Amino acid sequence: MSTPAQLLLSNPWKQGAKDALPLLGGYIPVAVSFGLFSVQAGFGVLETILVSAFIYAGASQFLFVAMVVSGAPVWLVIVMTLLINSRHLVYGPNIAPYLQRDVRWLPLMHLLTDQIFALTLTRMPNMTPSDRLRWYVSAGVIAWMSWILGTALGAIAGDELIERWPLISEVLPFALPALFLVMVLPRCSDRRWTITMVIATSTAMLLKLFGFPNIAIPAAAICGALAYYAVHPSPTDKGVLS
Amino acid sequence: MSGQTWMILLSIALGTYLIRALPYVWMARKLNKQASQGNVSSTPVWLTILGPTMIAAMFGTSLVPVEPSLLSWVATVIGCVATYFIWRRTRSMGYPIVAGVLVFGALTVFFG
Repeated sequence: MSTPAQLLLSNPWKQGAKDALPLLGGYIPVAVSFGLFSVQAGFGVLETILVSAFIYAGASQFLFVAMVVSGAPVWLVIVMTLLINSRHLVYGPNIAPYLQRDVRWLPLMHLLTDQIFALTLTRMPNMTPSDRLRWYVSAGVIAWMSWILGTALGAIAGDELIERWPLISEVLPFALPALFLVMVLPRCSDRRWTITMVIATSTAMLLKLFGFPNIAIPAAAICGALAYYAVHPSPTDKGVLS
Repeated sequence: MSGQTWMILLSIALGTYLIRALPYVWMARKLNKQASQGNVSSTPVWLTILGPTMIAAMFGTSLVPVEPSLLSWVATVIGCVATYFIWRRTRSMGYPIVAGVLVFGALTVFFG
């Protein structure tokens, strides 16, 4: 996933902030929806904000609130929400080669969402080791804060916001597919990887369309990986490494 | 929130954190061990494939519009085409995303 290093800003804090901006278009509308949903389900404003701060994983937060309100057994709530988040298992090992030995990375793993993982895997190979921690903190904290603030907005004034600016929740989320597209495109530099990425993308889209949003990402990623092994490399293919 | 709900919340928060942190710790230790033994430290091949395919899968799920309709699908396709062309010209991340959102937004506003 290479983006030419010369396009990066010299200041990793600024680069992290710049890279995190498109995430806000996807995070804030969903966070506002979650805040509103949680308060309407009977949670308090502060409790709703703490759910977003502590769990920080969209789908499992909605599931947590819905299952608690419906009176589901404790063990089932915990197991189901953690199952949804289990796709995160492969994120840490993928970015580990880019993280220098530093104990500060441990608490920062809380910020490792789908989108921050994707950004990290795209950006870090082109950064110096000393810049990586600052870039990650900048991008990660901005994304986390936007999630918490969006939740607070939704919990306090979600009804009014969605009524007054309905288009915001329709238009801004397009920043996420646009962001993922510019991360996918550099990988499609040869036939084998192009087929792999197309299969992963289309499988995920179909699974979501047919009502399996929670398994769409891990299942489609595995399909894509299987396709990679199934496609015979041509002499011009570049292999697995970036 | 009752005491039981707080317990559930904290369990999920801790579990989610561990799901994110423990695999990283495992891989970091593995790489350090390889390096200390004088071997070239390397991530398993399947992981280097799964990372990009996870991103492609996220792209796939994000393509499904918030409120699916003919207009939102057409706007999504045209927004992606705009993003692609600006990316081809600039090879950057910011401008293509802004262009995509503007095109998608314009189509949604004018034809919605």
